Amino acid sequence: MKLQRKVYIAGVGETKFGRHEVDFDVLGRAAALEALRASNIDRPTMVQSAYVGNGTNGMVTGQTVLKDLGMCGHLPIINVESACSAGGMAIHLAVRDVAMGLADVAIGIGCENHTLHMAQGTAFATAMSDIETVHGAVMTGKYAMRAQRYMYETGATAEDLAMITVKNRRHATNNPYAWFKGEISVEEVVRSRVVASPLTLQQCCGIADGAGAIVVCSERMVKKLGIDKPILVAGSVVRSGPYHNRPRDITGDDITEETAAQLYEESGIGPQDVNIVELHDAFTIAELLYYECLGLCPKGEGLKFLRDGNATHGGKCVVSPRGGMLSYGHPIGASGAAQIAASVKQMRNQCPGYQVDPVPRVAMTHVTGGGLSGTEHAACTMHMLVSDW
Amino acid sequence: MSDQKPNKKPEKKPDITFFHPDLLEAPADGRAPYLKGYRCKKCGQLDFPKLSPCPSCWGEEFDVVPLSRQGKLYSFSDNFIGQAGMKTPYSFGYIDLPENLRIFAQLEGEPGSFRCDDDVELTVGPVRDNRDGVPLISYKFRKLNSR
Repeated sequence: MKLQRKVYIAGVGETKFGRHEVDFDVLGRAAALEALRASNIDRPTMVQSAYVGNGTNGMVTGQTVLKDLGMCGHLPIINVESACSAGGMAIHLAVRDVAMGLADVAIGIGCENHTLHMAQGTAFATAMSDIETVHGAVMTGKYAMRAQRYMYETGATAEDLAMITVKNRRHATNNPYAWFKGEISVEEVVRSRVVASPLTLQQCCGIADGAGAIVVCSERMVKKLGIDKPILVAGSVVRSGPYHNRPRDITGDDITEETAAQLYEESGIGPQDVNIVELHDAFTIAELLYYECLGLCPKGEGLKFLRDGNATHGGKCVVSPRGGMLSYGHPIGASGAAQIAASVKQMRNQCPGYQVDPVPRVAMTHVTGGGLSGTEHAACTMHMLVSDW
Repeated sequence: MSDQKPNKKPEKKPDITFFHPDLLEAPADGRAPYLKGYRCKKCGQLDFPKLSPCPSCWGEEFDVVPLSRQGKLYSFSDNFIGQAGMKTPYSFGYIDLPENLRIFAQLEGEPGSFRCDDDVELTVGPVRDNRDGVPLISYKFRKLNSR
């Protein structure tokens, strides 16, 4: 969907990610309030619509988040669920409202608490109505199959995959919002316990809690609010995963390739122009494959792109500058929103100790969502953001 | 007139979610089991599992096609952290059949024993316990000639 009029990000908020004693609503509210205040919004009635992404915390999650901010009653609050894409999708819907002229100020929130509600020592599975789930499918194992095939076809090693964790944890070293961060060696990553062969524990994102929030507004409103560093939403795309039960190349990702192609076309920005990317690095293998799927490098050259230092500071495109999901952990409804919040901070030069230099002008975010038999992923949400000052 | 009220409480039905007749045929006479493909009579698309209507043309009539019992293991993983309630480790993979279909299934055999592009064959065995604690029997694959 090409945006009908200009949409800007005014302010963003995010919580620290990790294990929280408070539930999703408290986290969502904290991120929302930070985003609203950063947008110079000083009263609840200024917001005209709200979308709240959450994967697993139950019903009317959005109203639960926003009632204590006095935001229930005058505005529609719509709850958004698409597994790991929920947070990104909530932002997409807020962008849509502004683009179509339905609102001048809208908020998108992603929030999730897993650790208060999930049995320890178990892996995420999809619904029992799915034929793969009945037969034991878990997300860790499904990504592990991608890794297994990639290694088989390309000769990549466990040590190669481990470099992704090492890079992203290093990026996060001074990021106060990240959970797992700092130096870790390739050997430590490879020798951690096997979760789903060939993936080891340190190649899997942590099960975490957190929230992110984004306030979007029209061109007129961004001026009225006095935002001095507005971020233009140059593109916002949601797609559903192509479904079939025939062989497909799982060292690629059909839905990511299609979503990226649409985003590049609608934004008029190509992969070579993107300075930073936050992508769905739920597992090491995913980041490696997505270099290729997003067109950051040619097909088959993902490993070379990584080894040549093109995905880190000083390279062609800094991938996961906040540390990615491998550092933040992955509260499924929150990650998509938090990626955008972190990218906006990078573009505003607000990341002391982990700032990309030169300050990025173009940022891209990418979250997939949902294991569903016959698809690579059920959903994919991507955003293209551009500095506009 | 009886003063006994009829017992309205329905008997708890056993959980027999699997060994689903639409998926798998295991003939009682001892012939080898096979998976059941469904070919749409209108457009000819072949699917497993059964999808009705056909997602290609919405046709609702199908011919049942016995699928090949052998295929290639496209990829796999040995899982040491699994679904809540499932014993680990267990292995699963994608099996590509000559009919241009990909099947997700559990693998019978030791973790560490599988390789991509292994030849595998259909077998039948427990895949998990149902909610009554009884093993659910379904289709699985194992390395060809592993017995």
